[in-house]
Amino acid sequence: MSTEAIIQTENLNLWYGDSHALQSVSMVIPKNRVTALIGPSGCGKSTLLRCFNRLNDLIDHVKIDGKILLDKEDVQGPATDVVLLRKKVGMVFQKPNPFPKSIFENIAYGPRVHGVRDKNVLDSIVERSLKHAALYDEVKDRLHDSALGLSGGQQQRLCIARTLAVEPEVILMDEPCSALDPIATAKIENLIEMLKKEYTVIIVTHNMQQAARVSDYTGFMYLGKLIECGKTTQIFEHPKEELTENYITGRFG
Amino acid sequence: MAEKFHTDLEQLRKETLAMARFARNMLSDSLLALMNEDIDAAKEIVSRKMYIRDTTNALEERAYLLIAMNQPMAKDMRVIACTLKIIAGSERIGRYGKDIANMVKHIRGQPNFMQPLPIQHMADQVIAMIDDTLAAYETENLEKIAGLSFRDDAVDSLWHSIFRETLTFMMENPKTITRSTYYIMVARYLERSGDHACKMAENIHYMVTGERIEIK
Repeated sequence: MSTEAIIQTENLNLWYGDSHALQSVSMVIPKNRVTALIGPSGCGKSTLLRCFNRLNDLIDHVKIDGKILLDKEDVQGPATDVVLLRKKVGMVFQKPNPFPKSIFENIAYGPRVHGVRDKNVLDSIVERSLKHAALYDEVKDRLHDSALGLSGGQQQRLCIARTLAVEPEVILMDEPCSALDPIATAKIENLIEMLKKEYTVIIVTHNMQQAARVSDYTGFMYLGKLIECGKTTQIFEHPKEELTENYITGRFG
Repeated sequence: MAEKFHTDLEQLRKETLAMARFARNMLSDSLLALMNEDIDAAKEIVSRKMYIRDTTNALEERAYLLIAMNQPMAKDMRVIACTLKIIAGSERIGRYGKDIANMVKHIRGQPNFMQPLPIQHMADQVIAMIDDTLAAYETENLEKIAGLSFRDDAVDSLWHSIFRETLTFMMENPKTITRSTYYIMVARYLERSGDHACKMAENIHYMVTGERIEIK
């Protein structure tokens, strides 16, 4: 891959108890690009995604070995401040999960946790984040209304804005459109295209057409292994591995 | 759903192959009619154009529907892309057959040349190229099309040689101008049919390997 790497895993293994969920995964995530992870359910895509901001720490009986480097620093190391790591590596989940607060407060929450108190600074962060998430024009007149009154697609973009508010380097998206209708999905996909100018996006998706549309690089996982990783055009036009070919042409999975 | 798609795709491929062989027969039969100056056979060949036209449209429509309904990827996508090229290339070959058959009535009874032209020989070369290309489409055995580039060079040489010889005949005996002009067109159509075989073979190579090559 020609561009600079922001995340790199080397021989990454992960066990949930006895279950070997990730097996010797070595991959490179290029900076300012969109990387998609595809594969059948249970293949380890979300587990791998959660390694990047150590969300697996919250699960009991997880054992990890191998390296995960973010900006060449070991994410697993004892020196890593997990709160700071999750600021750098934000996450958007399958189902929109706004806080039961106002639109404004949803976005101001993160910067406040990280010490921003000035009202004017918070105002400008909220405005900038909403604009980056292509939501500002739709909500600018009701910033203090409850976030739960937004549509599903708007809620998901709010969650993206909330992630952007703490100025991450990487945004992890775990099936961000699976609870949305096609129009809301199209808006998120357009947004992903814009986001990669400033951020690195890693997206897990079951929708292969979506992976083909939005990503620059694609990794195909199967039974905990990274089978093939390369440019999206190559993976979807002529994959090297037969397993990849069989999966993306719907012969299994 | 994926299973139905793959069954439909396989069926489309089989019917495309049948249509391509129908078109190939139009070309080979038209040469036979030309050599024998058989007007009845030529008429029957011309009448086959309706089948080619209708089948081309129907097969193309089905390929587009498969794309629209299934968003095929990887090999599946390449098979459909290649199939569309096979349909288009075969349609052209069939129409050249019809065009050659149409000439028979104009050539019949026209003064002949002093010595025969290698038209039948050229046709045999081109038909064999088409046969091997279609066999590669059917079996995905790329060895069938491995030497196509050289074979096309030989066909091109025949086309130039027939062109030059025919010019000489016309200069020597202006009474052969009608026959000569038609023969130049026949040779040109054969040369173009060889090119279509090469173009189809390039697409078959892409279908099988995912890599593009140039055959010229």
